[in-house]
Amino acid sequence: MYKSEKQTIFYVLGLYLSSTLLLIATLFATYYFYKQDELMHAEREILKEYSSALEEKLLFVHENSDERYEYPRFENFKSAIYDIDKKLIFSTLDTKIDNLDKDFFFKGSNSYYISSLKPHYLGAAYSVVEKKRKPIDILNDLIITALIIITITIITSFFLVKLVLKPLRDNLRLLDNFIKETTHELNTPITTILANIETLDSKSCDEKSMRKLQRIKTASTTISNLYQDLVYLLLNHQISSQNEELNISEILNQRVHYFSQAANVKKLNLHVDIKEGVCFNADRQKIERLIDNILSNAIKYTNKSTTIKVVLTQHTFSVSDEGKGMSQDEIRTIFQRYRRFDKTQGGFGIGYSIIKSIIDEYCIKINIESELDKGTKVTLTW
Amino acid sequence: MVKIILLALISLTFLNASSFEENCLSCHGNDFKFNMMMKKYTQKYSSEKRIKEAIFDYLKEPTSEKSVLPYEYINRFGTKEKTTLDDKTLREMIDVYYDRFNLRSKIY
Ligand code: HEC
Repeated sequence: MYKSEKQTIFYVLGLYLSSTLLLIATLFATYYFYKQDELMHAEREILKEYSSALEEKLLFVHENSDERYEYPRFENFKSAIYDIDKKLIFSTLDTKIDNLDKDFFFKGSNSYYISSLKPHYLGAAYSVVEKKRKPIDILNDLIITALIIITITIITSFFLVKLVLKPLRDNLRLLDNFIKETTHELNTPITTILANIETLDSKSCDEKSMRKLQRIKTASTTISNLYQDLVYLLLNHQISSQNEELNISEILNQRVHYFSQAANVKKLNLHVDIKEGVCFNADRQKIERLIDNILSNAIKYTNKSTTIKVVLTQHTFSVSDEGKGMSQDEIRTIFQRYRRFDKTQGGFGIGYSIIKSIIDEYCIKINIESELDKGTKVTLTW
Repeated sequence: MVKIILLALISLTFLNASSFEENCLSCHGNDFKFNMMMKKYTQKYSSEKRIKEAIFDYLKEPTSEKSVLPYEYINRFGTKEKTTLDDKTLREMIDVYYDRFNLRSKIY
């Protein structure tokens, strides 16, 4: 599975899941509050019944007693009565109620119902009934149900995404295989061309054909270079680096030699200053790609009949050309392009993408100094 | 000094009590209705302050509309006479009446 594909799956999953979860959460929250409301309503109804039972008893006591009045007591609830000036008359409650204006409320683990009475039997204008609050424990059940639903959603959505992405993936794979196969097919003709030109080179032919031959050779080098880049990109995410102690000086000499033909065609003066015996622990193929790309960029963008300086010291490698240079903005966009090409591999400007990926892997710093119409200097430091 | 005040207080309550016998119980003596009247006032006016106020109001100016007694009763016997007591004594009498007959202190 490709990185980008994985990312897409995650994005789609994330989007799908978050919206579904939001929906589920809303539904459950609504249900929870509705249920709570219902339970509260039921609680209130019970208390209301208690309240009228109390009132009935109050009436009875008021009418049927003369000397002493026994306050009505109940098994399942406690109560209190207040006179019209809200002064307590009698109470079996454990707590004091300060506010007689609300008719139904919770306090601690109890629920209360207050009703006003008329006539005022035993002088009571307000009655308060208290009852142990029935715990509203639908929350636990709800959470468990929600968790089950969410797991099911996650599983189904995962399969759904895979299903939806399958045709896309198949197409991608097809395209990828095509590019891979074509690239491999390119190998043979390119090597053939290069090898044959090499052998032709020594034979004497007239100057005109010689120049044409040189151009063909340069063009083939360019194609070969491009081929190498393609192979690198295609295999990059499959092959891990095989790091070894590399003699950079030697490799650089080889690569400069390799590009000298192309430099000749542009009548470039290659100024090479390579310190001997500089070593670096890295993958040979990657370092070659890095050097090739920097060199070929310099050759590509410099003006005709100018000098290209290639300098290698113990910890730096720099290539400067005398081309048209870049403005600060352009340098910045090159870095942006690196970033862009990090995500979408291949395409135009793969050279930058390759440079970026390799220097990142080996923690090499890149510095681009450039002045318009004067030239560009690329320096790598490690 | 303290003794004198105490004595004065005791005699005052005693005086009040005895004058209650004179002023009210002379007619309402051992009258079970006196108890019933308090019930009716409590039922209608609820708090001590309001009960006392209403009785005071009634005794100052008895009318059949204000009475808490059953309509048939008032119809048959008529309302009582306006009180001849001055406001202060009347209030004291009502206080004693309330103290003795109120329901609140008899709830247990
Ligand atoms: C002269 C006799 C008499 C005296 C003295 C008297 N009452 Fe009455 N009282 C009556 C009668 C008769 C009624 C019933 C008719 C009525 O309710 O107006 C009555 C009714 C009442 C009622 C019921 C009022 C109602 O709403 O109908 C109260 C309360 C009352 N008396 C309090 C008192 C108090 C307190 C005193 C002492 C200050 C007192 N009475 C002194 C004769 C008396």
